[in-house]
Amino acid sequence: MSHASHKSLRNTLVLVTLIVLGFIMLIPLIWTVLLSLKANGELMRSTANAFHGPYTLENYIDILNNSSVFRWLMNSVIVSGLTTLGVLVLSSLAGYGFARLDFPGRDKLFLFVLFGLAIPEQAVIITRHQLFTALHLHNSYPGLILPGLAAPFGVFLMTQYFRAIPKELDEAALLDNASRFQVFWKVLLPLTLPAQATLGIFTFLASWNEYWWPLISATRSEMFTLTVGLAASQINFAQTSGLGYLMTQAVFAATPILVVYIIFQKYIVKAVSGAAAR
Amino acid sequence: MSGIDIKNVSKAFGTTQVLDDVSLQIAPNEFIAFLGPSGCGKTTLLRMIAGLETVDAGEIHIGDRRVDDLPPGQRGVALVFQNYALYPHMSVADNMAFGLKNIGVAKDEIRRRVEDAARILELDGLLARKPGELSGGQKQRVAIGRAIVKNPDLFLFDEPLSNLDAALRMRTRLELAQLRRRLKATMILVTHDQVEAMTLADRIVVMKDRKVQQVGSPMEIYARPANVFVAGFVGSPSMNILKATIQDEGGFAVAIVAGTKIATRVPMAGLPASDHWRLGLRPECVKVSNDGHPATVEFVERLGERTLVYAKLSDGTPVTAEDAGNSRVAMGDAIHLRIDGARAHLFSGTGDGYHADEAA
Repeated sequence: MSHASHKSLRNTLVLVTLIVLGFIMLIPLIWTVLLSLKANGELMRSTANAFHGPYTLENYIDILNNSSVFRWLMNSVIVSGLTTLGVLVLSSLAGYGFARLDFPGRDKLFLFVLFGLAIPEQAVIITRHQLFTALHLHNSYPGLILPGLAAPFGVFLMTQYFRAIPKELDEAALLDNASRFQVFWKVLLPLTLPAQATLGIFTFLASWNEYWWPLISATRSEMFTLTVGLAASQINFAQTSGLGYLMTQAVFAATPILVVYIIFQKYIVKAVSGAAAR
Repeated sequence: MSGIDIKNVSKAFGTTQVLDDVSLQIAPNEFIAFLGPSGCGKTTLLRMIAGLETVDAGEIHIGDRRVDDLPPGQRGVALVFQNYALYPHMSVADNMAFGLKNIGVAKDEIRRRVEDAARILELDGLLARKPGELSGGQKQRVAIGRAIVKNPDLFLFDEPLSNLDAALRMRTRLELAQLRRRLKATMILVTHDQVEAMTLADRIVVMKDRKVQQVGSPMEIYARPANVFVAGFVGSPSMNILKATIQDEGGFAVAIVAGTKIATRVPMAGLPASDHWRLGLRPECVKVSNDGHPATVEFVERLGERTLVYAKLSDGTPVTAEDAGNSRVAMGDAIHLRIDGARAHLFSGTGDGYHADEAA
């Protein structure tokens, strides 16, 4: 067998394996989508007929008319969006400060921030709960957003990224009459976009999937995020009359995150492979 | 255009002194080169003029303004960095316009200045490109363009040619010389390349060990080096520095090297008492000949138009000599060297240089 055909066979085998694995990973998703398109009454009798018709949009229409899912979706968008924005702003400013400004205690303070990476959420959850109770922050957007803004990884990532940018660019900008803030805003920040994208995607996904803290902080249904709301629905409906409806909610919840993945998949691959961190 | 007055400037980084009581006057429209080996303080001095390093002691004046306490943007200087320091996310035009936008220059005026600079530097077709899409030479021209549009009082160049390949370096050197003629501006070039300094500058400031060693025109530095360091640093290949004793013959010093006499035109009258004299001879003053001082060839470098012969005198003293381009001298050959003592220099034990009278 020639070298070329040997290589071609190997490529084909790899491709077939990837297709099979990809299909296996897609099965739960396909299963969920198909179940969401079935009538609830039919699913009560059996879920085995999910792979053939008749299909209906009844559950989607119900969601549009009745459900709290819209409210939860909006809460998730607000909480994840503002958390991501906050983390990006704070991490960028802190990263610039640690990388470029000379102030007393800078290195000790940076070390102090890094210690945050080693503290698990479980260790602080009770005191945080007490603090937020005292401050009347539960069942509010600030209550859901504020804990996510403490992002030592973000500060670390941005500090390292700013440090990797040549200082001559700051100096060239200073000679070009730029103020310190203009140097940060117009020259350095645009160069950190790959790191911002990485940090933003990770923060958004983590915040979107966050379950524990919203479960503790949001006790009123109108302040539920999608994760908490769906879990609450599962308790009410699962394996009873509303399986199709539940699956529709799941599809509804997963769609925004899928869109984020599809739009930013180039950056996500880079982020996961570490390429964006240079 | 403004001159520069640097008065007793010193600078230390922690406990390391990098500049020690440096004073220098630069005339308006003068092109000055700071020349010296790595770590001599030349780049630090340039950065202090630009405002990128603080001044520990002393004063810097540009024109009639004292600038050492002003921020970089208010000093009226433009700096071309060694690594270009172009803003990677901005187009060529935006790179050049950035400084003008920051001081509120009108859009039409910015466009006019950018287009003028682009025309001078042949960047017309590249204004929309990003720095990442340019070659090294083009980036260098954009960096120079960014300086030109600001109409600064003073241009500073920090080793601007060191990142270019040999052919491009020569071309850019020529372009810099032409640009200088066109702009008629005060310019300071930092370089460790003596050819750049010799070909571009009106005057060269040779620096070593935190201090200025000599300030003079390129030919002055070459022909009358102030000390043994300048003599050895300027000129390629380096000047031959040979241990010698001296004696007076008719009012001029005669150096005795490896037992043979070399008559110089250095007047005895000005020489101090010293036990450790050294004779300085440029390689072009030492020619391969049919008679003269016997030597053995160690190595031969054929440069085309001339041949450099690295030889040893009878007492083992190494010496670099010149021969014609078509020289047949080979390694190991026994040769003779004819030395032109009239152009020789003498260096005392402290390193100070003594030369033939200029009229001689």
